[in-house]
Amino acid sequence: MTPDPHPLRRPRWAAVLAALLRLNLAEELQYRANFVASLLGTLFWIATALLTLALFFRHTEQLGGWSYWEVVVLLGVFNTLTGVIEAVLRPGIGQLTEEVRKGGLDLVLSRPVDPLAFVSFRRLDLWRFTDVGCGLALAGYALVRLGRVPTVLEVTSFFIALIAAAVVVYSIWVALMSLAFWFVSVENLSVLFDSLYEGARYPVSAYPGALRFVFVYLLPIAWTTTIPAAALVGRVQPGVAAGAAAVAAAALLLARLVWQTALRRYTGAGG
Amino acid sequence: MSAAAWARRYGALMRNAWMVDLQYRAAILLWVLWGLAEPAIALGIWWTIAGPAEVGGYDQAAFARYFFGVMLVNQLTIAWDSWYLDRWIRAGELNFRLARPLHPAHEAVADNIAYKVRTGSLMLVVWLFVALAWPAARLPFDPAHWALGAVAVLLAAAMRFCISFTTGLLAFWTTRATAIMELHSGISLFLAGRIAPLALLPPPVGALAGILWFRSTLAFPVDLLTGSVSGTGPLLRGFAGQIVWLALWILACRLVWRRGIVRYGAVGG
Repeated sequence: MTPDPHPLRRPRWAAVLAALLRLNLAEELQYRANFVASLLGTLFWIATALLTLALFFRHTEQLGGWSYWEVVVLLGVFNTLTGVIEAVLRPGIGQLTEEVRKGGLDLVLSRPVDPLAFVSFRRLDLWRFTDVGCGLALAGYALVRLGRVPTVLEVTSFFIALIAAAVVVYSIWVALMSLAFWFVSVENLSVLFDSLYEGARYPVSAYPGALRFVFVYLLPIAWTTTIPAAALVGRVQPGVAAGAAAVAAAALLLARLVWQTALRRYTGAGG
Repeated sequence: MSAAAWARRYGALMRNAWMVDLQYRAAILLWVLWGLAEPAIALGIWWTIAGPAEVGGYDQAAFARYFFGVMLVNQLTIAWDSWYLDRWIRAGELNFRLARPLHPAHEAVADNIAYKVRTGSLMLVVWLFVALAWPAARLPFDPAHWALGAVAVLLAAAMRFCISFTTGLLAFWTTRATAIMELHSGISLFLAGRIAPLALLPPPVGALAGILWFRSTLAFPVDLLTGSVSGTGPLLRGFAGQIVWLALWILACRLVWRRGIVRYGAVGG
């Protein structure tokens, strides 16, 4: 192993992240019209989702045991996670296939920072955080319509479950994008995620037979919205947040393992 | 130009498109999968809602037929052209296409045919297996009806191509042409029958879908294949709607092209 030429100047984690954030903010502020466009887009997609739900509820009283406003809480969670995906994951780790294909990853690997963290957070689409705000507002409004005031414990458990869900989704992206090291020609791997994530729009109990098997057990993506929403409307005990956090930690560990295995392959090919 | 010359040109364009798609076959497979997710989830939800009873005249088997029809027809009629045109115009990739002695629309049409032959045959195979394993999803077999269905699918594909192409041409004026296409796609979720058969929409909304072009782009061919639409009157009305709207979209496409190309020239010159 070669000695680090600048042992004292190895940048710290937080400093790198802060610098990346500043850089992104400066860039995004040049395109302020994008904020309005992003907000309008978010409101439009929330409207279509609510109309879809209204259409289902024209013909039923409940969806998998969930009432209309309970599903709207879940929709708020879905939109919040969508915001995280569009703001952080797609512009960051989502660009990995392109980098692997064109060799841009070499530039990342030569930097004195953790490559996974750098690839994941170097580029943020800050305006898309409006989705996070809109999603939380929607969930809050639905709670009001339910006439339900969650306890402090339930709200805490909701936020822990929500962060755990974001971590799980991030882990899925890392694992999925690591496939790019094997399948270099597949440039739209993220489409695979988009297809599966569609299943997270509704509570897991709303799916019949084969679909439940796919979305709930085989690729348990639907849980990422169901668990936080269930915690907020009091359908599960607040203790479930501890379980969610444990699952998230395991998922993150597993994803890192996949990433490291994949990265060894890249180095092998490049060397 | 003679028919033989046209056939030769289209042969060359389609061979080219086919070879390009061949390089991206794994990526295309993922797009097909993506196209299946939405109707599969809609079917799942309606299946749960219907239970052992009926919803608006649809039982579980009828929902299965409808949404398997949607998967097939949507794959055969989907057009990505607004995304391509947006890139052609904004990145200047339109320039060398304009220099060719052939309208760029022909390349787009050939691309569409090659793409749909590839993905449509894949869908057909999947769909045959599903029909074999799951009788509920089987469409009623009636050669005359299927022939009419093929015509309706062809008309719908032509119209969706014109809509996508025209919307993509808006990139001559705005950088948000693809956002307009997304907007159209969001509306068609309901009005074209992607999320539910039109019969389940509130009646005024369902009627609006029939007056505008949306029903013609998806719901009508699907209903025709599943047998929900039959009888001379409804069939004639459905085809008339398709033909009138296709003609209007072709006109719109030509008009926007002519105006846009003048503007593009002015910017480039």
